[in-house]
Amino acid sequence: MADHALTRERRSTALAVFGRNWALFFLLLMIIIFFFTGKNFFTVSNIQTIIYSATTSLLLAFAETFVIISKGIDLSVGYVMGLSTIVCAGVIRDLYAVQFGVHWPAGVAIALGIVAGLVASLACGLASGLLVSRFRVPPFIATLGVLGVAYGVTLHGSDGGFPIAFLPNILTQIGNGYVYYYNPALHAYSFFSPPLGTTGAQIKDMIRLFPNTLIVTLIFLVVLWHLLKNTRFGQHTYAIGGNLDAAVRAGIDTRRHLMQVYVLSSLLSGIAGIIWVFQTGQGNFVPMGSNLELFAIAAVIIGGASLNGGKGRIMSTLVGVFIIAVMANGLTLSGVQTFYRFIVTGVILIVAIVVDQLFPDLL
Amino acid sequence: MKSRNGLLTFVGQRWAVLFLCLELVIFSIFGQGFLSLNGIQIVLFYGTSLFLLATAETFVIVTGGIDLSVGFIMGFSAVISAKLVTAMVTAGLAPSTAIILAIIATLAIGMLPGLLSGFLVGRLRVTAFLATFATGGIVYGISLLLSGGGETKGVPDLANVIGNSYLLYWAPGKSLSFFTRPEVARGTRVIEMIPSMLVITAVVVIVAAFVLNRTRFGRHTYAIGGNEDAAVRAGINIRRHYLVIYSLSALFSSLAGIIYMLEYITGKPDAGTSFLLDSIVGVVIGGASLYGGAGTVWGTILGCLILSVLETGLRMAGVPTFDKFIAVGLILILAVLIDQFFPELIHKED
Repeated sequence: MADHALTRERRSTALAVFGRNWALFFLLLMIIIFFFTGKNFFTVSNIQTIIYSATTSLLLAFAETFVIISKGIDLSVGYVMGLSTIVCAGVIRDLYAVQFGVHWPAGVAIALGIVAGLVASLACGLASGLLVSRFRVPPFIATLGVLGVAYGVTLHGSDGGFPIAFLPNILTQIGNGYVYYYNPALHAYSFFSPPLGTTGAQIKDMIRLFPNTLIVTLIFLVVLWHLLKNTRFGQHTYAIGGNLDAAVRAGIDTRRHLMQVYVLSSLLSGIAGIIWVFQTGQGNFVPMGSNLELFAIAAVIIGGASLNGGKGRIMSTLVGVFIIAVMANGLTLSGVQTFYRFIVTGVILIVAIVVDQLFPDLL
Repeated sequence: MKSRNGLLTFVGQRWAVLFLCLELVIFSIFGQGFLSLNGIQIVLFYGTSLFLLATAETFVIVTGGIDLSVGFIMGFSAVISAKLVTAMVTAGLAPSTAIILAIIATLAIGMLPGLLSGFLVGRLRVTAFLATFATGGIVYGISLLLSGGGETKGVPDLANVIGNSYLLYWAPGKSLSFFTRPEVARGTRVIEMIPSMLVITAVVVIVAAFVLNRTRFGRHTYAIGGNEDAAVRAGINIRRHYLVIYSLSALFSSLAGIIYMLEYITGKPDAGTSFLLDSIVGVVIGGASLYGGAGTVWGTILGCLILSVLETGLRMAGVPTFDKFIAVGLILILAVLIDQFFPELIHKED
């Protein structure tokens, strides 16, 4: 009898562990499947490609994590990213490119461009934060309004969606660079740039490790994980999302806190936009159809957060983002058309929310 | 004091109508050819898809939900109907038969995503936002897949004849005809009045307004949005109701997709993407509450007219169209702020 109860308990613990981490198991399963079906999927360079291309989606999803835990939603992340991209690239071009007459040093232009991008995204965050916290506008509508304004300004700044070119090359050298280079032909290694004397023919065989963007990602991962898990700011975010009234009675300044959450969200999206400038070397406007915010929200929810607030973790969001990123990459390498990305993301999302709804005690 | 309050109440309650009038006056002054039969018809022509999607959205928002899939379903139906018509014509059917069959089939297929959303929301208690977002993603993926990411060409010319026809053709002093252009000498001035697709839209909108306003189904919709628990206790079958609401929303969106196919004789997945924002904004400007239980079809139509006039007016005034997005965002924020600050002004009766 006691044995029986023990087995049952053990089984339910196993189920609970699986239920709580199903997204992680799913990610591993997907990696195993693509290992067999995808050509060159499980190679160092491809894994680095996945990490490299997930950088901006990660930042957007982290931004969304804070907002969703506070029981809000931020529909503007993708558009704030686009705005920051255009503003940053526009300022760099106007200060640097010869055609515009100023021609300041690249470093100064880039620094000012980054500041401009951050200011633009800060303005968006202040606007949605003010609307949500002070005027009690539903987050959905507040950020939808900010989205419209940001999108319009973005189109304005890019003359209707043309990429902003004539930016210094140093941008892509940083954005697409690696920390460690090894040239087998010369037996030489170096950091941050290819070894001296590397010829064009040898570049193909050169070993590159740790994309620069990986370091950025890791820094944000650790800082935001700490912020959410171990600080008062994080605890208050959970408290507000769990029960707003209780949080008010507990003496939390909810207005100020919600303001900070939306400003943080917009700033992270703005940083994603700046990184995008570094990765592409131009101010490439993010088109309306790419639905970045929807993929960010999907990643957060697949990771196990709830739109009812009070639930979610940075590490779970990480898993959610990589489920979508690995899937997109693996499907492409397996020769499946990329259109399936939308379908599969939708299906995984439905599975995630149904699991969440049906087995709330598991998770 | 009293009279000032009275004036404020007057403005607060009718700010949307007053705003629309203000827009009309401004664009009549600054817009090239805005104040003409043609200008007004362009406003309404742009509005057809928006009216349908926003009407669909109204039903969902009144229940306290939101439907993020309307634009994707519109694109989906545009692609499906274009594919079906092309396939049937290739198979040897007459264009007219092909178009009719394709429309019926597309309406049936277009309801499927709505059934899925309704099932997720009603039966599995998934948040409407997520359920429709997931459905929208799946539908968008399928339409990209079917169309190969581009436009579906090869729709017979008859679609164009139907889609871009007018209810009335009037050659002054010579002839008057319905639906088909009169046989008159080349160069004769023929005045075209009321696009046929607008007539279809108007009929659908009037029926929808009647259903929401005057029937038991409509009252149940408000009841669910106002207080779901109370609605359950009052014996409303909310599972079935959600299923019907989301299917209805998908049906209206499919109709918008079919109209798109007829007007542009092509189908593309992105046909409705840009309307999602506008349709939600139209409903909110029209006085509906995202918390459910409030909103009318006519209010929504008013909200859509504000957007449609803005879009057309800005273009005719020579302002780059992308400034429209800024204006739409600001109007949305304005609408919500007015709603938040003067609730007693607007919801006098409650």
